[in-house]
Amino acid sequence: MAQLKYNDLMNPGHLGCPGCGATIAMKFALQALGEKTMVVIPACCWGVIAGPYPQSALKVPILHTAFATAGAAASGLRAALDMRGDTETTVLSWAGDGGTFDIGFQSLSGAVERNEDCIFVCYDNEAYMNTGVQRSSATPYGTRTTTTPAEKWKKTGKKNIVEALAAHRIPYAATASIGYPEDMLRKFGKARKLKGGSRFIHVLATCPTGWRIGSEMSVKIARLAVQTNAFPLYEVEDGINYALNFKGDRKVKEYLTLQGRFHHLTDPDIDQIQKMVDREWNLLLRKAGMQSL
Amino acid sequence: MKKVIEGSQAVSEAARLARVQVIAAYPITPQTHIVEALSGYCSNGTLDARFINVESEHSAMAAVIGAASGGARAFTASSSHGLAYMHELLHWASAARLPIVMAEVNRALGPGWNIWTDQTDSLAQRDTGWIQLYCEDGQEVLDTTLQAFRLAEELNLPVMVILDAFYLSHTFEPIDIPDQQLVDRFLPRLSPRIKMDTANPGALNQLVTPAAYMEMRYNTQLAMQSAQDCLEKIEKEFAAVFNRTHGPVEAIRCRDADIIMVTTGTVTGTCRQVLADLRSRGEKVGLFKLKLFRPFPSNLICRHLGAAKKIAVIDRNISFGAGGIFAQEIRAALCNLDRPPRIFSYVAGLGGRDITPNTLVEIYNETKTKPTPKQESVWIGLNQEIVGTWRN
Amino acid sequence: MNDSSINQIPLFIPHSSTSTMVNKTGSWRFFHPKFVEKTAPCSAACPLGQDIARIEMLTSWGLLKDAWQTILKENPFPAICGRVCFHPCENACNRADMDEPIAIHRLERFLGDTAVSDGSKADFNIKPAKGKKVAIAGAGPAGLAAAYFLTRLGYGCEVFEARSEPGGLLRWGIPAYRLPRDILDKEISRIKDLGVTIHCETPVTENLLEKIRSEYKALFVACGYERSITLKIQGGDLARDGLEFLRNPHPAENPSLGRTAAIVGGGNTAIDVARSLVRRGVSVLIVYRRRLEDMPAFEPEAAMAVKEGVKIMELVTPIRIQKNSSNRSSSLPDFRLTLQQMKVGKKKIAGRACVVPDGEKTETIDVQNIFVAIGAKAEPIWQSLNANEPNSLDLRHCRLIEQKIPVVLGGDLTTPDKSVTDAVASGKQAAMALDTYFEKGLDAVEKRLAACRVGAGPALSVDTYLDQDRKYRNAHIVGYDEIVSDYFQSAPRVIPADLNAHLSIRSFEEISATYASDAAKKEAARCFNCGICNACDFCRLYCPEMAVIVDKTKRRINMDYCKGCGVCATECPRNAMALEEEIK
Repeated sequence: MAQLKYNDLMNPGHLGCPGCGATIAMKFALQALGEKTMVVIPACCWGVIAGPYPQSALKVPILHTAFATAGAAASGLRAALDMRGDTETTVLSWAGDGGTFDIGFQSLSGAVERNEDCIFVCYDNEAYMNTGVQRSSATPYGTRTTTTPAEKWKKTGKKNIVEALAAHRIPYAATASIGYPEDMLRKFGKARKLKGGSRFIHVLATCPTGWRIGSEMSVKIARLAVQTNAFPLYEVEDGINYALNFKGDRKVKEYLTLQGRFHHLTDPDIDQIQKMVDREWNLLLRKAGMQSL
Repeated sequence: MKKVIEGSQAVSEAARLARVQVIAAYPITPQTHIVEALSGYCSNGTLDARFINVESEHSAMAAVIGAASGGARAFTASSSHGLAYMHELLHWASAARLPIVMAEVNRALGPGWNIWTDQTDSLAQRDTGWIQLYCEDGQEVLDTTLQAFRLAEELNLPVMVILDAFYLSHTFEPIDIPDQQLVDRFLPRLSPRIKMDTANPGALNQLVTPAAYMEMRYNTQLAMQSAQDCLEKIEKEFAAVFNRTHGPVEAIRCRDADIIMVTTGTVTGTCRQVLADLRSRGEKVGLFKLKLFRPFPSNLICRHLGAAKKIAVIDRNISFGAGGIFAQEIRAALCNLDRPPRIFSYVAGLGGRDITPNTLVEIYNETKTKPTPKQESVWIGLNQEIVGTWRN
Repeated sequence: MNDSSINQIPLFIPHSSTSTMVNKTGSWRFFHPKFVEKTAPCSAACPLGQDIARIEMLTSWGLLKDAWQTILKENPFPAICGRVCFHPCENACNRADMDEPIAIHRLERFLGDTAVSDGSKADFNIKPAKGKKVAIAGAGPAGLAAAYFLTRLGYGCEVFEARSEPGGLLRWGIPAYRLPRDILDKEISRIKDLGVTIHCETPVTENLLEKIRSEYKALFVACGYERSITLKIQGGDLARDGLEFLRNPHPAENPSLGRTAAIVGGGNTAIDVARSLVRRGVSVLIVYRRRLEDMPAFEPEAAMAVKEGVKIMELVTPIRIQKNSSNRSSSLPDFRLTLQQMKVGKKKIAGRACVVPDGEKTETIDVQNIFVAIGAKAEPIWQSLNANEPNSLDLRHCRLIEQKIPVVLGGDLTTPDKSVTDAVASGKQAAMALDTYFEKGLDAVEKRLAACRVGAGPALSVDTYLDQDRKYRNAHIVGYDEIVSDYFQSAPRVIPADLNAHLSIRSFEEISATYASDAAKKEAARCFNCGICNACDFCRLYCPEMAVIVDKTKRRINMDYCKGCGVCATECPRNAMALEEEIK
């Protein structure tokens, strides 16, 4: 990889767990977006990671907001910047899966329907991690969380947020993984340049704490998710044109067995998950205009 | 320039004259005319502002919070369930010390669905740290809205300008709409104390431990406590330009009154007539209009009501299990006086039921004839037939 | 119009005024990462322990001179080894598990040749003169290498060479189409430029040996096997010595050798003789006692010979050579060679089949030349030295005997594998052993040398011996399972195209071509750089605490903030880091 001109807009000393994927994600995001960025953070892990009063973990302005409000607050901030003649600063909404998929969904949907000129990012650790690993609609089928414990693990699938936003005909939506830094940096760079409308990036951000893996596995797991097609990398323009960025060829079992949050699954369960992954993957292939396998 | 416009229009004219920069609002009867007018101004260029068609009131408040954090003069309007939906963010706006102005049209909360006037919605938000101003007529609405921006921006506290549904929002009156130039003189462009800037990055509204939270709340309390004086100062400046004053309260013939009736909103207008009638019959009655509710003007309450024998508080609202809210607060303000007057609490006009001059006379007579007040509020104007169908 | 007399109470809201840097999150750690460079399998397999991972890294960056210098730390002859070494490095290369091994051998040659054509001079820190003279018998690869390393360690070296020019088997055994003479001369001149004196046509006689024992502080014997083994059969004296032929396979007069030749033997010498004869227009048959797969010659060389038209007959052994009486008026000789057919017996000796005569089956062939290349041994003067001595130390590649002066035997005399690279290794080992012997005595030698092993040995590093950066290299050999293959994309191995066999046999010109610079860099870029840091910066990219600091070219961890998550060490594509437990 070409040598990056490092411009870390993040400070050390933040409160992220060791190996926190969300912090790596923010690092990459700001690397691509640069210092003319303002970040809107609703309640989520980053609400705490950013540091308690009077500290800040970022070298760009942060607006902490209430849980459900990322989409709306970003819209308002964008309006204020436009009114004071600043069209250069990027407004980055940085929400977790709760603040994007669930409690924040309405606000996001409204903002995207209005085609607000913001970059909306969901850093997805696949549960309400900040409050103690409770399930969200981003929690994958088969996961054990504190509100879908092992005896009654989550039997509904992961909400397809990109598909939902594609239905809004959002100008640009993409998935990204901290396990693929070049791809992620490219997408954030692209999103930065696509001013004038809504952009959404769904980032898989490993949570060693909640996923029950060693902290050192954080990046590798995020890579394996892509390699097994559990979390495909793709882009959608105008909600219609799909482009696949990577074709995984490994079995999802390789991904599942490395994580404590899936340890309760039996082989038939894993087979079922493989079927579900394959089905989603084939659908994605069809959308991208490629033959399904 | 005088025009015959409805109360809603007075709000939108004021917001236009105030050169608001960002408006985010969700329509709810009977606030809709406000947002429609403002949307019109933004579309036809009369007002240079961003109008965000948010998808809910919660998002409306979130958007103006975002906008105000970005240093813009921000405005919204709501009512009833919309206001209730915003509840958590009302706390947020004041704790974030953002100079947001909101027009709130007093409307009943459901079920049953009821679009008519009732004060429970705004009063249920009395703890959220917003300055609350209850308006009597259209001119007051316009003037108060203009003053609200000055007040909010001076104190960095959000301000709610409150008007009755339909009786005020949809009633046409001749209203003086001032010149833009004069308004600009009174209300200059916002130089915000809070303004996110990449040149001076920092985090706003982050996690605060017990070590500092209480001090932040105390800071807000101090600002709130200075609001009354601040309003007075602003009204002086307003009067200097526009030759009108309204005051945080208005005490009419209270000095020698035995019984003082306390009203808010449009009821005050009705009661002025009743006062004149009663006085002409020799009754020693006074009328006290309460406009500034938050911060609660305890000193003015004591000053104007303290000497009377009885106070009749008309509440168009109810806090279940406790009674009319204005009555409770007035009671609390007067309780430390050596000889506090007796507080007679009346609940009337809920859900838009008309408070007629007869209702007010009935309240006066009730107050006059009863030696001591009931602890609970007395509900006036109940349809006993309906009550009778389920009570007995 | 604002009345500023109203006291504006200052805002006290949650707004940051410092950064989180006040939190020294390093206190959270249970483990901490370290940059620990480890040993690449190629460098452990290389008899010279060259720092190959680093060499390829520098080459891929275009720092060709730095790469060449890195070679010179451990090997004075890159342009030579890059042509004649049997490259065990490539057999150990981890990249083979992904696609194909790196063309280390060809790249070494590229670097050596580039330095030669650029006239590059190496920057050496030569140790201060110790005032000790060392005599070296034989100017072959072992002797010249010993001179090179001993000079760097501060000793004055004089080489005594029997033949007219230095080089040993490099000049007198390996044909020019494998090792051009001008390259050889340039590589050797580097040794001379260091101040080494080479006395040619000065064989070490008993007299000279006596002189050496009294005037020099040590002797390194690298005389090689000069005495060819002869065929002890009827008419064996009619066969020509293959090694002798190789000393001048292409004389200027180029006399005709006739049309056919047979070569007895299966080693490298036999192959070299065969291929040289082909270039002299002779049709060649190699007769070998065992099976083809048992031939000790380097497999690629044997394959080249076959491509060039050499025929190989396996499982035959000569039993008689006779002169053919014929009516031929030609002045060229004509022989009849009788061969006994062999078959594979039951036993195996050292992995090679045991062969026994296959009944009475014989075969005869008529040829105009018979060459013998069945091995050689040392001259008698050296054989006596090899006898067991009480004060002697057997090291892997050489043998140190304590006599009046310490005598170290090296080269083919002592190396387990008879190759150029092993000969150079023995010269290096001898230099280190002698230096330690002088500084600390015989008993310290083994331990001191063991501390300089590359990986588990047997290769030794002079860089480590000299207390340079290589000493920090952890001896753990990085396996393919420790490479994070996700970071690499499969790419084909590219080597320059060599001359076609039918073209190359027309002369003794060099067959194999060398890289163009860009192709070399690209091939070197396929190297994983196992175990060393190549500044890919993935550690810094991922570190959530921004705790990887780059100080010019060195990396270190900011212990104030490192939480010990271990992502850096886990993601390092080449296992150049380690995680250590934190002692609280």
